Amino acid sequence: MIKTFTQDDVVRYVYQETSELETKEIRKALLCDAKLEEMYKDILSMKAQLDKARKMPSDRTVNNILNYSKSLKLSSSK
Amino acid sequence: MEKYKISDSQLVSLYKNGNEEAFEQLLTRHKSRVFTTIYLIVKDNYVAEDLLQETFVKVVRTIKEGRYNEEGKFLPWLMRIAHNMAIDHFRKEKRYPTIVMEDGSHVFNTLEFSEDSIESKQVKQDTHSKLRELIQELPESQKEVLMMRHYMEMSFQEIAETTGVSINTALGRMRYALINLRKKMKQYNIAYDQNIYPR
Repeated sequence: MIKTFTQDDVVRYVYQETSELETKEIRKALLCDAKLEEMYKDILSMKAQLDKARKMPSDRTVNNILNYSKSLKLSSSK
Repeated sequence: MEKYKISDSQLVSLYKNGNEEAFEQLLTRHKSRVFTTIYLIVKDNYVAEDLLQETFVKVVRTIKEGRYNEEGKFLPWLMRIAHNMAIDHFRKEKRYPTIVMEDGSHVFNTLEFSEDSIESKQVKQDTHSKLRELIQELPESQKEVLMMRHYMEMSFQEIAETTGVSINTALGRMRYALINLRKKMKQYNIAYDQNIYPR
């Protein structure tokens, strides 16, 4: 028998927070529940978009940080 | 989640021993995640650049002064510093949600579009920029969970503990955030990625 899963379970699945057993069962459920599968695809797609929407700082800022690190000569207390 | 050959804690150890390249790798690995988190809170590109710098200055000093707690994980620690700095700034400035237009094509996103045409690049940049604007339009509770789970990589359990809600509430907010964003993208007729790659 295929277990019923909620939309929140799918969110946990997409963010890889389900147990091994849950993961297997959700995969089965997705094959049999078109609505759940559609929701899964939507969430997976949004997740991919959010990854791509990350911003990059300017090269100037990155270089400032690197230069600061190189210029700071402190000896570790450990 | 991306898989790295050398772990963060190994890089921190190398850095503690004076290896500046290890620090450069840590910065390269996490800069966009930290910068996006800060930007989503302060909503200003220039302020976000300053706070990113302050965040890493604190990281550098803490590690070089031997005050870094090696029992904890590097990324959650880094994200906590960035988050606290951004929240402190937000409170000090008493800023309220306003959408600041982005400027400078070099800061749009982390992707490289070497195979894309100029038009295609522009469309993608506009899409990512618009998506960040749409995130800002989410209810604060949804935006907070989305930022913590997606960009700060906190678990739903950690988010629930940090924000003082149940794990089901945190999950529900995340679900609404993702569904709302998708609806808004459709509403604005923004092309979104149709390529599904089951894990």
